[in-house]
Amino acid sequence: MAGLLKKTTGLVGLAVSHNPHERLRILYSKILASLQTMPQDAAYRKYTEQLVSERFNHVKAEADVEKLEKKINCGQIEEVIFQAECELALSRKMSEWKPWEPLTEEPPPNQWKWPV
Amino acid sequence: MAASLVRFVRGGLGRSYNLARSSCLLQQQSRLQSSTTETSPTIRPKDAVTHSQLAAFGEYVAEMMPKYIQQVQVSCYNELEVMIHPDGVIPVLTFLRDHTNTQFRNMIDLTAVDVPSRQNRFEIVYHLLSLRYNSRVRIKTYTDELSPVDSAVPVHMAANWYEREVWDMYGVFFANHPDLRRILTDYGFEGHPFRKDFPLSGYVEVRYDDEVKRVVAEPVELSQEFRKFDLNTPWEVFPAYREPKEAAPKLEAGDVAPEAPK
Repeated sequence: MAGLLKKTTGLVGLAVSHNPHERLRILYSKILASLQTMPQDAAYRKYTEQLVSERFNHVKAEADVEKLEKKINCGQIEEVIFQAECELALSRKMSEWKPWEPLTEEPPPNQWKWPV
Repeated sequence: MAASLVRFVRGGLGRSYNLARSSCLLQQQSRLQSSTTETSPTIRPKDAVTHSQLAAFGEYVAEMMPKYIQQVQVSCYNELEVMIHPDGVIPVLTFLRDHTNTQFRNMIDLTAVDVPSRQNRFEIVYHLLSLRYNSRVRIKTYTDELSPVDSAVPVHMAANWYEREVWDMYGVFFANHPDLRRILTDYGFEGHPFRKDFPLSGYVEVRYDDEVKRVVAEPVELSQEFRKFDLNTPWEVFPAYREPKEAAPKLEAGDVAPEAPK
């Protein structure tokens, strides 16, 4: 639908998406599934779940692409898709790194003291 | 207006950070009292809104990755600084690049600072830019002469030459760098010129020799004896960062930090 009206995104390397809703639905459900593997109290899971489900609800509720872009308010729909792809890749890496664990090592004394 | 360096410490309670926070707050309050009356146009106006936004964002990032982030602070010029453990270079940079609320997709600068008096003498500094949110962040980590830091090239392509430069100038080794070799110094140069213990005159000088018909390198010869000058200023340099007179009491694990007086 968007492809009929829109010829280009105006951004190099970012092609116009012909089925943004379907694409976003797949990506967001994948992100949410990937977040399920993290512990409940992890801040990354909490905030990302909130963010993604908010956008997911907009995608479900709004059929018109332009209105959807306005509601999400983070650029064109292709950019939103790109952000979702990045978030999915990140969430998979995050479950490997486990950054919600406590600090690995305290800094040596006076490491961050400035002026020395 | 005195520089008010506000430290926003990580969410973990019962840590020694509480100590730092209360003493810093004390310092900041005393400075605020002296600066509220200054309205002259030469004084930098305080942008409290940006400051609090940055502070809140710093808290958000620190809460997301407590494993790697040691400290978050907002400087008096409204710059967000995130201090991380050297193991966390790749995770933190990737998180800041890929997370929807951060999107720091551009690496603006990567450099190092040499502070020989510290246990880890090199500070590695990353500057990132988010075009989406029009904001910048500074990431700092530390290392010494021997321990390698993870290369940021898999995350940001721009880091390639910057890391070569840091390797050339400071001798910090970056693990997994695709092409770590000298970039600024001459072929066959020895040493790392930006280290504080590298002499200003260098070790060798080059000249063209008529007899051998080529450029020759010779050990540097000074025309006069090396003199040591006392360059220390007689004035106080950082009055705003004066050490507190009495040491704050050391807190045990179960103790509650005393409230900073309002």
